[in-house]
Amino acid sequence: MNLISSTAEQFEFELNHEEHALLFHVLLQYPLVPATHHRLSQNSEISQVEENQRLLEESLQSHRTTQREQVMALLRDADRFVAADEGLQVTFTRAEIEWLLQVFNNVRVGSWLALGSPDATAEDRRPTKKTAPHLMNMEVAGFFEMNFINALTGDE
Amino acid sequence: MSATTEVLPEIEHAHQADSSTALEPGYLVICWDDPVNLMQYVTHVFQTVFGWNRQKAQRHMLEVHTQGKSVLAREGLEKAEFFVHQLQKYNLHATLERDAE
Repeated sequence: MNLISSTAEQFEFELNHEEHALLFHVLLQYPLVPATHHRLSQNSEISQVEENQRLLEESLQSHRTTQREQVMALLRDADRFVAADEGLQVTFTRAEIEWLLQVFNNVRVGSWLALGSPDATAEDRRPTKKTAPHLMNMEVAGFFEMNFINALTGDE
Repeated sequence: MSATTEVLPEIEHAHQADSSTALEPGYLVICWDDPVNLMQYVTHVFQTVFGWNRQKAQRHMLEVHTQGKSVLAREGLEKAEFFVHQLQKYNLHATLERDAE
């Protein structure tokens, strides 16, 4: 995946066919993190925490519904990905990259949760039939996150 | 004149801030370490949510990474909830906790 050109608000990328297929695959996994996963506070004694926790979950669920619609609109837009010499070209606005970052990280974190939330020192990380799909989703989501962040920050 | 004009608003603003923080309980917005969120991603989220420059965002990211957590803000409950919501939309491990001070 390469950044071809950019302005302050628009970023043009070129993807090879494999990257394009992986992009679609990962986006279709969204959302993976349950809305009930996030806790507002670790301290249950904070007043009104149950009500505010419920409001948080509702807010996150609504946010995910909206983003799911955005993802599907992107994937169904036949004109977004344009054939190029080595693959396809696509242009994203800065705002689109921001919600795509949230989507990719939801897939990454959700895949990690599906693996049992292993810590960084987990000894056995060999892919198995069961874990391989989640490991792949994590790595691919991270790949796209880094490419988008590098594009936004101007880093290579 | 211009010096007096510049001084008065600052004093007034500081006085109001002191009054409001003296009355309202404080809540800490905390980001906790986890093994899944990428460091560059965390830095970016801090810049986006709080409007920080990269240096400040990286400092807090490294604090999360090396100390297990970083206090990102101290606010009233409503503002703290807002920041936690924003961070959790990016799937960072963030919570609000009552400030013991």
